[in-house]
Amino acid sequence: MPVRLWRAPLDTQKVKPPKAEIHILKDQCKGCGFCIHFCPKKVLEESEEINARGVHPPKIVDESKCILCSFCTSVCPDFAIFVVEKQCKEGCQT
Amino acid sequence: MAERKELKNPGEIRIGVYVCHCGLNIAGSVDCEEVAKYAATLPHVVLAKDNRYTCSDQGQEMIKKDIKEHKLNRVVVASCSPRLHEPTFRKTCEDAGLNKYLFEMANIREQCSWVHLHDRRAATEKAKDLVKMAVAKAALLQPAEEIEVPIIQEALVIGGGVAGIQAALDLADTGYNVYLVEKEPSIGGMMARIDKTFPTMDCSICILAPKMSDVGHHPNIELLSNSEVVDVKGYIGNFNVKVLKKPRYVKSECTACGECSKVCPVIAPNEFDAGLAIRHAIYTPFAQAVPSTYIIDMSRCLNKDGVIVCDKCIKACERQAIDFEMKPETIELKVGTIIVAIGADVFDPSALPNYGYGKYSNVITSLEFERLINAGGPSGGHLIRPSDMQIPQRVAFIQCVGSRSDRNGRLYCSNVCCMNTIKDSLLIKEHWPETEIYVFYVDIRAYGKGFEDLYKRAKKEGVIFIRGLPAEIIEDRKTHNLWLIGENTLQKELYKINVDMVILSVGLEPRKDSEIIQRLLTLSRTQDGFFMEAHPKLRPVDAATGGIFFAGCAEAPKDIKDSVTQASAAAARAGILMAKGKVTVEAITPISYAERCKACGLCTKVCPYNAITLNKELKRIEIIEAACGGCGTCAAECPFDALTQNHFTDEQILAQIDAVTEFDAEKKIVAFCCNWCAYAGADFAGVSRMQYPPNVRIIRTMCSGRVAPKFIERAFARGAAAVLVAGCHPGDCHYINANYQTKRRVERFWEKMEKNGLNKERLQLLWVTAAEGERFASKIQEMQAIVEKVSREEIENAKKVFEKALGGS
Repeated sequence: MPVRLWRAPLDTQKVKPPKAEIHILKDQCKGCGFCIHFCPKKVLEESEEINARGVHPPKIVDESKCILCSFCTSVCPDFAIFVVEKQCKEGCQT
Repeated sequence: MAERKELKNPGEIRIGVYVCHCGLNIAGSVDCEEVAKYAATLPHVVLAKDNRYTCSDQGQEMIKKDIKEHKLNRVVVASCSPRLHEPTFRKTCEDAGLNKYLFEMANIREQCSWVHLHDRRAATEKAKDLVKMAVAKAALLQPAEEIEVPIIQEALVIGGGVAGIQAALDLADTGYNVYLVEKEPSIGGMMARIDKTFPTMDCSICILAPKMSDVGHHPNIELLSNSEVVDVKGYIGNFNVKVLKKPRYVKSECTACGECSKVCPVIAPNEFDAGLAIRHAIYTPFAQAVPSTYIIDMSRCLNKDGVIVCDKCIKACERQAIDFEMKPETIELKVGTIIVAIGADVFDPSALPNYGYGKYSNVITSLEFERLINAGGPSGGHLIRPSDMQIPQRVAFIQCVGSRSDRNGRLYCSNVCCMNTIKDSLLIKEHWPETEIYVFYVDIRAYGKGFEDLYKRAKKEGVIFIRGLPAEIIEDRKTHNLWLIGENTLQKELYKINVDMVILSVGLEPRKDSEIIQRLLTLSRTQDGFFMEAHPKLRPVDAATGGIFFAGCAEAPKDIKDSVTQASAAAARAGILMAKGKVTVEAITPISYAERCKACGLCTKVCPYNAITLNKELKRIEIIEAACGGCGTCAAECPFDALTQNHFTDEQILAQIDAVTEFDAEKKIVAFCCNWCAYAGADFAGVSRMQYPPNVRIIRTMCSGRVAPKFIERAFARGAAAVLVAGCHPGDCHYINANYQTKRRVERFWEKMEKNGLNKERLQLLWVTAAEGERFASKIQEMQAIVEKVSREEIENAKKVFEKALGGS
């Protein structure tokens, strides 16, 4: 049944994917770029700034896209990035 | 192995001819008595009779009696098409102890009386010619013995919709092993998506789900979901099938608890819900899915190329059923019969810009409606309009979207949409009685059991039926309401109606991938694109290819009841074959004359079935009769006359040509028609009573690929005005690709004619399907003009050029 799918599904509101809070320990980063390269949702990119180790640490492009897979944490050789679920008491807006 | 077998054949040839009146079907425009008298004067004919119905019991008894009393050793019946009654009379002959290959038919109904209704003299003359041709061939007929092929007692069903499910269950219950191959992750097909069924308003999934689960648990059914048939080789009773089983990435340990889906961070539109609801990358398409095992959509999953980035589902699965290492596998099956139940696609209305589907959010299709009104759907059974999720007050249905139109979509009626709309309108009335419902239609077709009652009920409930489809839909940008503008053709006035939501009642169309199945199984399709049955009335579920049957919408659009009926019929037909355990193959295989064979190998190259192999050491060819399809293109290719085809030998066909061209050849068209498309197309012209000039004489071959250039040469050498070679459309050949040889040979013949200064218009090539009677008739009309133009001189020239062809065969 190859029906062309063009609409946004009507029940998108029902599913609330967890919201992420990404923490980058900038000065611990050695700029290997693994987290940027392996992120499945392309949440990170290289920043302009230079950290204590003289490299460009990653920066967050769009935190809302993060789906908390924590693969960045797994691949980071320097324990410089981790993700926690946002705890929204008053309900998270976007 | 295929050396010519001269079976015992008593010296004197004694032919009995029976000219059938077929009531007035033939006698109405042919003087049957005169034809019978004429037949009696033909060589070898010892007896010629005319009677009212030769196919009746009395008619058959008479033939049997005559065979014994008059020692007939050949029988010719001049009546309807051999496609209809050849098997009947062959059996009659067999019953009387005569080999069935000693029977021949002259088609004086479909190809004579019915197409020359108003010219009794010409029709009678043509009938005489046709009888003469049949008698000439009959004198040369040889008895033949059919080889027996064992049938593997396992079946393959392609497609797991309601038709495939029913066929598989019926066969499995009979006791045969069945492989059910379904492309999607779950069986259920279209019926699983529909909310209620007409006319009884049963809940669709509630009546289907038990059947689905039966399929899942049946000891005789092996269900191959998420799989596709990629290769089919072999022939009736002995098919070798390759099925590609795509990985689910979830093992059968899955208990369908759904914990994985809950944690999956990926969201995608669910195809099952026509994209109206969401699913995750790991999902089950719907609650009742069979198999219930979840599946991972790798095009959506975050884990690619073996790198496990996200392991949430793996962690959530208690049974550890998730396996990203799964690889696609190819499964090889050996089956005896195949049932094709691949179903139909729905028409995509975005092809019609005036209805604004894809642009206006409140224009939906009937399939989307089914998911909206279904309790298991995205809105929990509330009919809401997509723009603001409100329940609409005014709703319009538009019929024949993609059906019955020569401009947009398909020409045919899709059969189910009228009743589906009536059912849908009643569903709305049931839940929200205040809703205003308009149905814009061309004709309402409520033809089935209980359909008219439902239609009346809808009218009583206040559904407003307006004849005349809207020309255009315009959206109010603020409210997203829709204006329908068109003409009410009953009242001859324009309407402009404002509604909250429009439902396009979309038609059905052939599956996009039916071409693949067609190619794999060498099937033919009608002009509409659906698969063609062997006979529209008497073999409605058989494919022309032996051992293959159709069920459901693959053959034509039909409702659930008809699909189930057809599926049971297909299962019964396949069951008959398998119960017998063996089948005889028609003795129309090639005959080789080893002494003439130069081992050039040309025949091996043209054989579509690879049934001929060249033995280089022994310098001769070897024929595998069971694999032979019987097209005869090898015989046409052989330049040394070392090959011919049983029952369609060179001598027999040349004798037919000679019979046609004996008198008045300069006014006649000699036509060679393939049995499956062109001959059937000519029959269809007859059934439809299309009138065309009476000077054409059709010689039936199994395939146009059988037509050797020497036949055409012979016709011209004997002074024929024109020759027609007609076969199936390229790509539709019943013998895979044998008609490409026809094309090549005719093109080469044209060159030869040109080189010799002959008018190449006198040789025509026609591609025609069994459904294109009109095309055949108009070709004959067109050729009539050519025949009239051909001068005496041109005919003499051709006679001279092809003089050599007059020598023996």
